[in-house]
This record gives sequence, C-alpha cells and structure tokens, in this order.
Amino acid sequence: MSWDTSTQNFDDHALRMANALLRANGGTAASLLMPPAAGDTTDAAQLGLNPPNFQALPLSPAVFRKLRPTMHEGEPARYELLISGVAVQAAVSELQLSSADALFSIAANVAVGGELFLIESVAVSESMGSVYMYRLLLRDSTTGWQMQQSQ
Amino acid sequence: MENAKDTFYITLRNRLGTVNPNRTMVMRALTRPGILVEEAEASTARLPLDVFVLRWTKLTTDAELPSILTQLTCEIHYATAGTQANAGLDRGRALEGMDDELLQILCPSSTPKMNYTQTPAVQMGTSVFWSQAIFAATTITRERLERLATVNVFAFQEQGEK
Repeated sequence: MSWDTSTQNFDDHALRMANALLRANGGTAASLLMPPAAGDTTDAAQLGLNPPNFQALPLSPAVFRKLRPTMHEGEPARYELLISGVAVQAAVSELQLSSADALFSIAANVAVGGELFLIESVAVSESMGSVYMYRLLLRDSTTGWQMQQSQ
Repeated sequence: MENAKDTFYITLRNRLGTVNPNRTMVMRALTRPGILVEEAEASTARLPLDVFVLRWTKLTTDAELPSILTQLTCEIHYATAGTQANAGLDRGRALEGMDDELLQILCPSSTPKMNYTQTPAVQMGTSVFWSQAIFAATTITRERLERLATVNVFAFQEQGEK
C-alpha cells in the first residue's frame, strides 16, 4: 500500500486562475437577491402583505450559460452560473456569514442580465481543499420580471 | 377569502409555537415557527425539511346561504430526513412527530376570523372553521419521508369583504 507523501502547500493559484478565466470568458455579474439583515417581524410580512425589500448583492466575475437542452416537454430551461470563489468569499465576509452555503441558502433568487432565475443547487470546485469556484444550477423564472442590472 | 387564509395560517403558526417551540426555521433572516405559506415566500427548488408548508389549491363557494360560504382546500406538505445525530435512522419517528404536531395544531378546528391587512389585526364578525385532516400515504424520496395532509377550510364572506 502506498500513499502520496509529496508536499502540497496550498497557495491561491487556483483561485486566481479561476478568477482570471471567469473574467476572460464572459466576466459578467450576477446579483443574489438577499433579504435585509433586520428581518420584518410583523405578521403582514409572513402573509405576503409587506414588500420583502430584497437587496441585490452583486457577485463578479461570473460566467452564465445555458445548459445543454434536454428536450423534455414543458420543462423549463436550465442555466449554469459559475462564480469566482473570491467574489463569494468577499460576500460571505461582508455579510458576516458562517459559510457560502449560508449565503446561498439565504438568497431568494438570482438576477443575471436583468432576468430572474431560481437556484436549483450549488456545487463547488476545489483545489487542495480550498474552493475556487461555485457552480449554481439555475432555472428560468416564469415571471418575466425585468430586474435592475448590477454593474 | 384572504382573511380566512391569513387567519388559518396565523392560528396554526401560533399554536405550533406552543406545541413545539423547538420547531423553528430561519426565513428571510428571522427565526420563526416552522410553518409557512408557500405563495407568500420566494419560490424554491424543493420544499424545506422539517417545516409545514401550506399550499392553497381548490376554491368552491355556496351561494345558496344568506352569506356566501367559501370552501378553500389547504394542502399541508411536510418532509423530514430525521436528525443528523441519529444519521437519519429516526426519520420515521420524526415524520410521526410532525403528524402528531399537525393534529394538535389543527385542534380546535375553528377560530374567529381576523383582518391582518390592518395593524393591529381586527377581529371580524364570523369564524373560520375547518375539517379534519386527511393524511395521504408517506412518499419516500431517497432519504426524505414526505407527507401531504389536506384540510378544507370554510368561511363566510362578510359584507364588503373581498
């Protein structure tokens, strides 16, 4: 039995490379729609009476692309959003959250290019145990609402 | 009808806070009892675990009475995968626990109708009342055990009420 005993010190080369590649291959921005930190405690907020006042949290660089069509009748199109680990780490720090999972679980939706999408799942790409890119599987929103584009 | 729907949800939520104060969830940065109205929250890919989700479906009316009687069908969806401490092996017990909580919060099966569009909420002249829950068979989706309970909620339309 043998195992890898080579020294593998983590440096942020994967993080920087992912950042550069995402910037070079589209370099768009996506916005997570986040609830305000001070939640609305009224009954009206839970009954859909009060506006939720979601705030856009821009994440950049990101790459947005349509997944290969599956051609199932009535099934909405699916999209993939690749977000730099650097951007997500910055957002987690800014909001003082415990993890990126917490960030994505709090987010209500995602806006890309002025359109709204629902988050289906979140996956990560890692190098030596450190996340350098987040991959969000998105679904078309049926509302057709035009969202304010993030810069 | 909105008043009946709002009253039914708030009643169940308040009762759940008493029956099991530990059944909570974090929704939009707030910790609150683990029950929500699906149409009043952001859409999600799948329903959350260990939370009661109210989904309003059918509507029928009876106009033969002095006041119109509305009957709204409320589907109550809930699912659990058990607890992490028990590696999910307690998911059957967890689902049974939720069944029991639902039975408790549905009893008694009436409450005065309230208008929550005003602050503070105003009590109206009639009551909201509901049928016994009809529990569907457990649905198993990998480690998730899911249940649907259906309740018919009745309320009279009051003068000027939408």
